This record gives sequence, structure tokens and C-alpha cells, in this order.
Amino acid sequence: MLLKNRIISKLHYYMIVPAFLLFTIFFIYPLLRGIGLSLTDYDGMTKANFVGLDNFIEFFNDKRALNDMKTTMLFALGSAPLLNIFGFLYALLLDRKFIGKSVIRTIIYLPAVISPLIMGYIWYFILQPQRGFVYSIIESVSSNAVEFNWLGNSTMALWVIIIVNVWQFVGMTMVIYLAGLQAIPEELHEAGKIDGATYLQSIRYITLPMMIQPIKINVITNIIGSLAVFDIIIALTDGGPGYSTESLSIYIMRKCYGSFTGYSTAVAIILFFIVLIPVIISFKYLNSKNVEM
Amino acid sequence: MKRTMNLLIALVMVIVLIGGCAKTVESEETTAKDETNDEAVVSTDKEEPAETADPVTIKFFTGKVETVDLMNDLIDKFNAANPGIIVQQEFQKDASNVIKVKFASGDVPDITTVVTQDYIDQGKYLDLTNEVWWDRIDPAIRDLCTDVKTGNQYRVASNMTMAGLYYNKEIFEDLGLGEATTWAEFENDLTKIKDNYSDVAPFFMGGKDSWMLGHLIEFMAHGVIKQELGIKESKIALLANDDSKIHLGDVGGPMESFAAAILSTRDKGLFNSDFLTATYDNQIEAFAMGKAAVISQGMWALGGILEMNPEMTGNIGFMPYPSIKEGTKPVILSAEDSAYAITTDSEHPAEAKKFLDYLFEVNNMVTYSEFVKSPSAFTDVSADWGPLKDEVAHALAAGIHIGFTNESPSGFSGDDAGRMVQELYVGEYESSEAFAKAYKETWDKAWNASNN
Amino acid sequence: MKQFSYKIIRLVIIVSIALMALFPFYVLAILALTPSSVNFSEKLILLPRLYFDNFFEAWKISNIGQAIMNSLIITVGAVILVVVFGSMAGYAVARVKNKINNAMFLIMLGCMMIPGIINTVPLYTLMISIGGINTHWAMIMVLATNAMPFSVFLYSGFIKGLPITIEEAAIIDGCSKIGAYFRVVFPLLKPVTSAVIIINGLSIWNNYAQSVFFLQQQSMKTIPLAISMFFQQYGAKWHLMAAASMIGLAPAVLTFIIFQKYFIKGITAGSVKG
Repeated sequence: MLLKNRIISKLHYYMIVPAFLLFTIFFIYPLLRGIGLSLTDYDGMTKANFVGLDNFIEFFNDKRALNDMKTTMLFALGSAPLLNIFGFLYALLLDRKFIGKSVIRTIIYLPAVISPLIMGYIWYFILQPQRGFVYSIIESVSSNAVEFNWLGNSTMALWVIIIVNVWQFVGMTMVIYLAGLQAIPEELHEAGKIDGATYLQSIRYITLPMMIQPIKINVITNIIGSLAVFDIIIALTDGGPGYSTESLSIYIMRKCYGSFTGYSTAVAIILFFIVLIPVIISFKYLNSKNVEM
Repeated sequence: MKRTMNLLIALVMVIVLIGGCAKTVESEETTAKDETNDEAVVSTDKEEPAETADPVTIKFFTGKVETVDLMNDLIDKFNAANPGIIVQQEFQKDASNVIKVKFASGDVPDITTVVTQDYIDQGKYLDLTNEVWWDRIDPAIRDLCTDVKTGNQYRVASNMTMAGLYYNKEIFEDLGLGEATTWAEFENDLTKIKDNYSDVAPFFMGGKDSWMLGHLIEFMAHGVIKQELGIKESKIALLANDDSKIHLGDVGGPMESFAAAILSTRDKGLFNSDFLTATYDNQIEAFAMGKAAVISQGMWALGGILEMNPEMTGNIGFMPYPSIKEGTKPVILSAEDSAYAITTDSEHPAEAKKFLDYLFEVNNMVTYSEFVKSPSAFTDVSADWGPLKDEVAHALAAGIHIGFTNESPSGFSGDDAGRMVQELYVGEYESSEAFAKAYKETWDKAWNASNN
Repeated sequence: MKQFSYKIIRLVIIVSIALMALFPFYVLAILALTPSSVNFSEKLILLPRLYFDNFFEAWKISNIGQAIMNSLIITVGAVILVVVFGSMAGYAVARVKNKINNAMFLIMLGCMMIPGIINTVPLYTLMISIGGINTHWAMIMVLATNAMPFSVFLYSGFIKGLPITIEEAAIIDGCSKIGAYFRVVFPLLKPVTSAVIIINGLSIWNNYAQSVFFLQQQSMKTIPLAISMFFQQYGAKWHLMAAASMIGLAPAVLTFIIFQKYFIKGITAGSVKG
């Protein structure tokens, strides 16, 4: 064989190399450096000194950081289930042939196409007391509108953020569930009906077990996405009032900007573990429910 | 099939090439420290800018939102008149944080309005002490621009600004209210307004913009320190975190008195109901439309108010902040404004100075002062800077003059302080003492981080 | 009869959901189409007067034309990288099964769980040293990297589901394995490629958290950055902001509407198998 042919015939072994090379340079290398940085007190300007695990210890002593961790987790706990429940319900609703199905599907997905930042700004405008859209409507209907300021109240604000987030991305979850629903052979449902199963029972015993794969994809992506939440909070409340709706990602960015570079990397590593644990748990749990065709 | 593959590969190569070309253009402009750029520095220093083939780019980095458009106009005129120099303005709202990233990344601006003590100490700014501009500038302003540690000036201020309480004259006259000198009196006045004008917010704050709340701390709370110690001494004490002088965490100290005042005003319902979600723009609009009786602002806001409602011109009163602590007097901010520094890392300091020369020309300063509605620092500039000349003069006489707090530790910005006020308002702290203690803790932590 | 009323209820629910989804766009449109002089503290008019001047003014002030160019260059560049490299990697994982490939695949998958913000900080120092701040090419690489694991995952899943007979036929006919890939397999990947293009394209187009770190120069800002700057600068001028946002959103929304069929097919393919 010609040398050229010999090389070409072996090329396929290297097909993964470009992707992996890019990945190594721009992800793995910074990641490793990050782990290194997290053990220093680097502030972006002066020399970095090794401080061991000080950054990590400081995190657990910082009231604001712990609160942010709580906020982030609450956000994920609120968002991920709602996204999946509503996504699934919507998918069930849309799982028929009807005119305009693809139009409706596109429309419901559409909010997910917008940057969460812009979506946040739109909702901020809608919800502003005194001048927002909702306020105008409430005002024209009742006269008790004065006390409404959802974004100014720490607990309400978090709920608002969760709801806006679900609103925006439920289309994405729905589309994946729809794909899963379509893959279930009709015969299974018919067999169920013949055996006298009610609608709810057929969902529980036929549909759900067949949907493990889409459920896995959705749950895991939603967990990862919610724990890293950033844009939408900045737009709606800027982390406020005070720091009550600040998420860990925002905290990391602010600390990094505020010259606590080493520290912010450490917090980022902590965030990684916060993501890792639920993902592994869900993964294992869902894998155990896998149904063989 | 083969064709599409080839097409794709070609596209990838084209993109990379374009990207590569873009990179070389960028690296010519960015101030990366490599040899080719060193050569460029040498040559531009020695030659007149007009003689070099490539135009020199001066990056002007600002955090002042109100002046962005005006500066762009002035910059365009300068660029047109100086073909060898291109000045570019970059505005960032979070400028004091972004500049840290800029310094760290080597993307250093040539001229900037952001000057912090940390960076002065690290020698990031050129020493401007011997520039000719000072000959035309009010010595009091020069004092305010002086770094207490070295006695040099690292920034030049072109204007002065004042901040205090704007009030709606009509409402005040209607209710026969005077200018309160203590916070208790002030609350009484606000209560009268609340009782008589149900759809007017007595005291409107844009609480979502934490910098505004941060200002309240700088003026009212730190104002106590500044008047008790005097300007220079207070700067030294703050920089040294000298607790025996500044009493940050004490009951009856500046922070506790401040928190007590805010809580009391909140509890009496004298703030706007959307305190936490209103912004600077909301505040300006409310005042311009007569929906707010009193607001805390600086002269920089005047332009916006009058643009929204020119008829407010005769109706704006201006008074110092009433005192929040027994034995202290009302304070008014009278400080340097629009200060510019040139970075030591700048590769074109000569061109940067040329731009500042241009900016400081009398006619440009007149335009600038009239736009920002504040007096010029230059003694030879007489601008008709605003309808409030009399009110301001009167307020200046009625209160103790204080400046901005430039001495906060670098990890504890005005923004962070403002957020603490948001937390205070929401009830995160059980008492004003708790607030004072938390403030001191945060201050100490940040101070230790930059001074270890 | 019962069937019929179920149908009506279902229809009503579906339509309400769709209307809910459209609500933000509707508000945006109202804002963008009303002149700035109309204070929205007055009762909001539900039918917008058609006033297009906002768009012209917003375009001029926000410099969104340049932002669109930047977003376009970066998105197209990154998507091409992702499609070319990702599909090759997906093929390798699906067809060339050896320990190394498996290991690399698992590493990339594992890293998918790492939110982008984590390595933003050290990535920043890396970018400084290679002079990548404020450049298109560096941004393209960073965003392509972030999109890579998921895309490789989708590709590998899909390719596994392809019958191997076609490739074997090509090899019997004298093709090298890699030739078989380019000539035969890649064209079959259209559904999954469209899904990859749309999912990643959209998230790259809308990227804020990374861009805000690495693209600070005015001239390099992408659409999300330009709009957020606009918001900071002209916070009160909601009408202009809405107009600018609509201009910024239009390309993404239009692209999605046009290609949604392929997108759905691709998602279906990728999420059910694999």
C-alpha cells in the first residue's frame, strides 16, 4: 500500500482528536489551573500565595456565601420539578395529531429561544410596581394595588424568578418529552385499554417506564442548568434585595471582579460538587428503573 | 458529498483566517507587553502623532453614564481635528469592578475616570502634579484631588459637584415647611407631606440601584466621621481603619445612627412604597413629575430632571442632609467631580494629555459644565451652569462640606454598602446596632484582605 | 358527546398555554411600537399604535448592527467547529471502540456537569496569556468547547442507531474508514446536525455569562451584551430598549421558526436513542 493510503486508512483512529484537543485546551487546562488557583489567595494583580484550604473554610464561614448556596439550591428545587411536571403534562396534552400542532409546539418553545437576560428584563418591566404592566391591569380592576411589590420581597422574588424560568424553558422540556411519547408503540396503550386500565394507570405503568431516557435527559439538564443560574436573576433583581436572591454563579462572578480570584475559583469548585451529587443520584436512580424493550 | 465536505473545511479555514486577521488587528491595539509594541511606544513618543502611519488609539474608560453622549460629541470633534489620534470611549456601569479585570488582563485604558486608592498605591496612575492644568484650577479642588499618602495628584478634576436633598418648593411652601436641620424635624416634615399629599412619595429613593444607597452611607453616615474629624483627618483615619476615631461598630456611632434613621423613616411609611425596586430613572421621573417631594441626589441628576420636565426649573429647592446624630450638623457634599487619570501602563501618554488639553479648553469646559449643571473647577471658565445657582449657594452655606468616600477598602464598594442598606430595609438586621456591627465586620474583612 | 367536550377543553387549555408563551413577546411588541412620549404610567393601551421610529433610533444608539455582526461571526464560527469536530468525535465513539476513545468520551461527558462559570476565572488568565480577550476567534473556541460534550453525545447516540451495513458496503468498495465516514455517514447525520446547530447555535447566540468576561470592548460586544449595556445606559427608555431587543431577537426567532421541523426531528432522534 502507498504510504498515503496507509495513513488515510488509520486516520479514523484520530477522529476524536480535534474535539478532544479543543476541549483540553479550553476546558480541562483551565479547570486544572482553577483547582490550583483555588488553593491560593490570588487577587488578579499581585503574586499568588499558597493558602491551602483556607478559601474553602472561608466559604463555609461567610454568611452571604451560605445564603447564596441556599438560594441556588432552593431555585433548583423549585425549577427542576416544575419544569419536568409541566413539560410532561404539556407533552401529554399535545400528543395527538391535530391541525396546527407544529405551530403550537413552536410557539410554546419560542420563549426558550430568547436569551434569559432579555426575558428577565421583559418580566422586570411587566412586574414593576407603580409602572409595570401587571400593575396597570390590577389598578384598573381593583383599588388595592398599592401594596404589590413582588420583586422587592425576598421570598416572593425568588418565586417570581422560578416561575419566569419555568415559563421560559418549559417548551424545551416539553419537546423532549413529546419525542419520547411518540416513540411509545400504540399497541402497548391498546393492550392496556383492553386489560381495563384507566388513563392514569396507563400513564403510570406504560408511559412512564418507557420514558426513562427522556426523563433522564431532562432531569439532568435541568438540574445542571438551574444550579448554574445567572442571567435571569441579574435581569430581574440583580441579586437583591440585598443579596437575598443572589445565586452562587453571581457570587463567583462578583468575587472574581472584586479581586478575590483565588477564592472565587474555590467557590466554583464547591458549586461543581453541589451539581455533581444530585446528578449522580438522579442518574443512578433512573438507571435502576431502566426498562428493557 | 465530497463537495459539501470540502466546502465545510474551506469555511472553517476561512473563519479561522478571519479570526486570525482580527486577532492581529486587536493585538496591535491592545496594550499587550511584547516587543513590537515596545517599539511602537518608542516611536510615538519621539515623533509627532501626525507623522506615524497608524493612528494612535486612546482608550477612555468611564463609569459616568450621564456624560456618555456629551463626551462622544466632544471626542468626535477631537478625532476630526487630530487625524493621528483616535479616542474611543467605553462606558461600563460597574466601572470600578470592571477596571480591575482590565488591569489584570492587560487591556488597560489610557484615560479613565475610575481612580481607587489601591491602584494609586500600586502606581497605576501617572503623577500629574506638575501639569499645567493646575494653574487654572481652584486650589481647593486641587486639595481634594491630592492623595493623602503621597501628597501628589494622580487625577485632575474638571468640575465640582454637590449632593444633598432636592425638594419640591411648591409642596414645601404650601405646607409651610422649612429646611430641617435634624432628622427628627425632617421626619415631621415628611409626615406632614404624607398626610396632605396622598399620592406623593415624601422621600423617594431608587433602592434597586445600590450605588444610590451607597451614597447615602457616604454622605450621611460617613458624613458624621468627616465633620467630626475634618476632611484630611477623616481620610487618614478611614484608610488606617482607626477604630478609635471612626467608631464604625459602636452604638451612637455613624453607622448605627444612620441605620436608626433609615429604619425610623421606613417604619413611619415616609419612603416610596417601591423603595426596593425603584431605580434612579424612576426617581428622576417621579421628582420631575411632582410625584416625589424629596429626593437625595447630586447635581448630575439635574439635567435629567429638567429634560423630563422643563417647568420644574423654578420649583427645585436644595438643602443639606439633616444631621442624624446628636451634636452634629447638616452636611452637604461638595466635592470634585469629573476627574481624569492617565494610567502608567498607557503607551500614549502624550496623546492622552493632548486629549485632556483639548477637553480642558475653556469653550469645551463651558459646554460640559452647562450640560452637567455643575460649576467648573477652572477659574477661567464661567459657565451658566444651572438654574440652581442660588439654591446651591444657599445650601452650601447651610451645611458642612464633605467629600465622597474614596477610602473604602477595595473589597467593599459603594455598591456592596448599598446592598447592606437594602438588607437593612428588608429587615435582615434585628436592630440598628446589628447593622453597625455587620458593617464593621464587612469593612474590617475587606480592609484586612487588601492590607495584609 | 363526552369525547367532544374533552376535545374542546383540551383545545382551550392548549390555546391558553400558547397565549401564555406569547405574552412576553406581546409586551415587548407593545413597548417597541409605542412612542416614548407615551408614559406607561397611563393606562396601557392594549392595541399598539404602530410607531416604527423607535426601531431607527434604537438601531442608531445601541449600535446593534455591529452587535449582530459580532454575534453572527461568533455563532457561525462556533457552530461549524462543533458540527465538524463533534460529528467526527461522535463517530469515533460510536464506531471505533477502544479504551482511549471511551475514556475521552467519559471525560467530556463528566465535564458537561461542570457549569461554565467554574472555569471562567482560570480561563480568563489563560485568555490573557494567549491574547484572546476581545477577539472573535478565542470566543469561538471557548463557546465551541462548551457545546462540544453534548453534541458529541447526540452524534454518538444517533450514529450508534445507524445500520453499519452502508459503511461496510463502502469499505468493500475500496473506501478507507475515514473516507466512509465523510462520504456515507456524514450526509446521513442531517437530522442530528440540525438539532445540534439549533440548540448550540441558540445558546451561543444568547451567551452572556462568558461573553461578559471576554468581550469588553464596545466594538466586540455581542447582542446580549449590547442590550444589557443599553439597559444600563438608558434604563428609563423602555420603548427604545424594547425596540433594540426585538431587533436583537429577530434573527434567532426567525431562524428557529424556519428550521423548527428539522430541529424537532433531530431532538427526537437524539433523545430517544442513545
